[in-house]
Amino acid sequence: MTILRTSYRLLWSLVASCALLSGAAHAAGGDTIAWDKAPKKTNDLAALQNGAKLFVNYCLNCHSAAFMRYNRLTDIGLTEQQIKDNLLFTTDKIGETMVSNFNPKHAKEWFGGVPPDLTVIARSRAAFGKGSGPDYLYTYLRTYYPDDTKATGWNNLAFPNVGMPHVLWELQGTRKPVYDVKQEHGQEVKVFKGWEQLTPGTMSPLEYDQAMGDLVAYLQWMGEPAQNTRTRVGVGVLLFLALLTVFTWRLNAAFWKEIK
Amino acid sequence: MSDTQVDSSKRTWLIASSCAGVVGGAFTAVPFVSSFQPSEKAKAAGAAVEADVSALKPGEKITVEWRGKPVWIVRRTPEQLAALKGLDPQLADPKSERKPAEFTPEYALNPHRSIKEEFLVVVGICTHLGCSPSDKFQAGPQPSLPDDWQGGFFCPCHGSTFDMAGRVYKNKPAPDNLEVPPHMYLSDTRLLIGEDKKA
Amino acid sequence: MAQFKEVSPNAPASEKLLNWVDNRFPLSKLFEDHMSRYYAAKNLNFWYFFGALSLLVLVIQIVTGIFLVMHYKPDANLAFGSVEYIMRDVPWGWLVRYMHSTGASAFFVVVYLHMFRGLIYGSYRKPRELVWVFGCAIFLVLMAEAFMGYLLPWGQMSYWGAQVIVNLFAAIPFIGPDLALLIRGDFVVGDATLNRFFSFHVIAVPLVLLGLVVAHIIALHEVGSNNPDGIEIKANLDKNGVPVDGIPFHPYYTVHDIFGVSVFLTVFSAIVFFAPEFGGYFLEYNNFIPADPFKTPLHIAPVWYFTPYYSMLRAITTEMMYVLILCVVLGALVAVVKIRMPSFLKPVVLVAAAGLVATMLAIDAKFWGVVVMGGAVIILFFLPWLDFSPVKSIRYRPSWHKYMYAIFVINFVILAYLGVQPPSPIGERVSQVGTLFYFGFFLLMPWWSTIGEPKPVPQRVTFAAH
Repeated sequence: MTILRTSYRLLWSLVASCALLSGAAHAAGGDTIAWDKAPKKTNDLAALQNGAKLFVNYCLNCHSAAFMRYNRLTDIGLTEQQIKDNLLFTTDKIGETMVSNFNPKHAKEWFGGVPPDLTVIARSRAAFGKGSGPDYLYTYLRTYYPDDTKATGWNNLAFPNVGMPHVLWELQGTRKPVYDVKQEHGQEVKVFKGWEQLTPGTMSPLEYDQAMGDLVAYLQWMGEPAQNTRTRVGVGVLLFLALLTVFTWRLNAAFWKEIK
Repeated sequence: MSDTQVDSSKRTWLIASSCAGVVGGAFTAVPFVSSFQPSEKAKAAGAAVEADVSALKPGEKITVEWRGKPVWIVRRTPEQLAALKGLDPQLADPKSERKPAEFTPEYALNPHRSIKEEFLVVVGICTHLGCSPSDKFQAGPQPSLPDDWQGGFFCPCHGSTFDMAGRVYKNKPAPDNLEVPPHMYLSDTRLLIGEDKKA
Repeated sequence: MAQFKEVSPNAPASEKLLNWVDNRFPLSKLFEDHMSRYYAAKNLNFWYFFGALSLLVLVIQIVTGIFLVMHYKPDANLAFGSVEYIMRDVPWGWLVRYMHSTGASAFFVVVYLHMFRGLIYGSYRKPRELVWVFGCAIFLVLMAEAFMGYLLPWGQMSYWGAQVIVNLFAAIPFIGPDLALLIRGDFVVGDATLNRFFSFHVIAVPLVLLGLVVAHIIALHEVGSNNPDGIEIKANLDKNGVPVDGIPFHPYYTVHDIFGVSVFLTVFSAIVFFAPEFGGYFLEYNNFIPADPFKTPLHIAPVWYFTPYYSMLRAITTEMMYVLILCVVLGALVAVVKIRMPSFLKPVVLVAAAGLVATMLAIDAKFWGVVVMGGAVIILFFLPWLDFSPVKSIRYRPSWHKYMYAIFVINFVILAYLGVQPPSPIGERVSQVGTLFYFGFFLLMPWWSTIGEPKPVPQRVTFAAH
């Protein structure tokens, strides 16, 4: 009924606008940069396949995706043979999960901590008012800069003092953030202005951004492989329920006609 | 509005809603019932297993696990193979005719019940009630076995006996020959248990 | 043999079967008493859908819960993985999981709306006090059920939410720390806690919930449902003893509720299939990180349906204690001066108030925060005895009462919103004012519910033919 729907919508917009307002308040004076919007590519099989390739080649060395089975990659248009030939690095059984061979003991010694599992990373990194998990990941993968005060030699604008090095630096090249210095409340404040490329990478900035879009789309898909099925089935379910609602509405009316 | 008109409109919508409801109910039940089926994890765990028989000498047996069950690979000696033909009168189902779909795939419907003559590949579970029979490869008289024993398997639970091709003897509790699982040779010395060329 | 009813040998088989059963089990009688000859007022409106919808959501939670338990592993090392196993490896497991998580939030939406109906139409008043009391018990038990269920996915929010709430029990003087140890089964929330919460969530509390729901419905059917006009339809019977304003529940309200169910399922499915996380409110982002006892997330908040009470908990700071002490003192004075009571009671009230003030000064604000949070739920139980208005339904109350209820709702929503936000100075002040209003609404109701001129209550229910 319209009252219920309106109340739901009103409440949801109230909640959403409050969350946005509070988030904006945080981001404006926040300690990390605002997040870029990740491109929506989870329906683009080519992008997902490219993302899978990047993931297996660059991420799986240190990070596991312990709940993701290799054979599920057939959902994004790959055959089992293609998976076996190109993507099966850590095991020889296609039914196994993507577990990295990186010894956790070494991880603690070399990096100070165990690299987190990435299976549902895209679902866990959202923040109210800042953006979705994919937005964060898309920003994070593109905002590394060299910092020789850090053990790894790298720092990151979206995740300051991160313990992970820039594994994709060969693709992106190295670049550093450029700031404008502004006067605010009698203090000098650095405002992020843009990037200055220091050394070139094998990809142009546009190519790199597109590759990262693919990788993030893959991470988003991997976080919930059933998502495309879910929305597809959902359309059918809602159409059916709309029809059922019409029937039960008329059924109700037919009985209540006789009540005076 | 007249009574019959009201009644007929009630009936119409009652039928329409009931049909839609039943259809909806059926569609809702499908995912729940499907969740009973083996999960991807179970299917992955039940995947085919490789076995290497290059080190297997005649008269020896190795055991491989497939789908939680023991699969025996026995390299039979020439004497054991020769003795198989004469045993037919003593066996309950010498030509594996009883339930071939369940126990004997077509590449094992031969006198040695295997793809390669030398190697027997069977599931090591007695077809009576599921115990695992013991090896009795040595020919000759032994406790619980007849004097003219030609080698095979003996199930300690209820006394069923099987020959070196896994075929069950007459008048024993077990009704069927030992199951030959789907399998194929990837090379002369490597087998894949759980898949055959048909699959 | 007792009075057996006989049917003619020519009767159809179905009639003979029904008769056989009826002679041994009151099947037809139950159906008549509770459905086809249970009379409800004919003017029940939109607000009356939510009881049946609560029952529907209970069934959804139980059925989806049964299927989840087939695959879930209640072990601290395996729990998080088993949930992802359900989401990915179990055929249609993702659907069962989303139905259960959405159902949990839907349960509270539906129950809050159901309670609101009771509030505005005076459904808790005589003779329905026990219906209301059973309902409040259901609400309390439901909160426990949701809290324990939330630990099971063993994510960061699960773990730290449980850690915080169990530590609240530790705030109780003298017995607190031992009580917390007893609840947890260990020095921190861990595997022992997970296993016992699993047992409670899956079997112990659902059984209690089912028992309370049955009691709630039996109590209701004993006295008959209320209606938006607050009129007792049983006061006006026709020559057959049937209320003139009543209609049989079956078929009129069964058909009405089936329509309500359709609409509900549409909204429910829209969420399940298109927005199961619901912006991070139904499935929280932090809960996709496995529980880490060494790393607390920056911002812990309980799930949305607990946040109004969480706000009240946070509002009780040391400063606020002085305000509360003032309220106790003023309350005792007003009670002694204004309320009619035997004269020997007056010094008792003053001494009790003094004692309470002493304990309020002696024990930390942390403990009183817990008391206030619990009190906010417990006070609901007393509502039937706090409402002194001569009329039941908001429709016939003095107009300004409508504003009281509207402000109550807005206040509750603001408290909920503040509970989700991280603490802030403004938020603290607003939630303190909000807490005072919430309690004032109930504690002062014996006074404000009598102020103003009620409108005349009609003899017959107001109903417009459809």
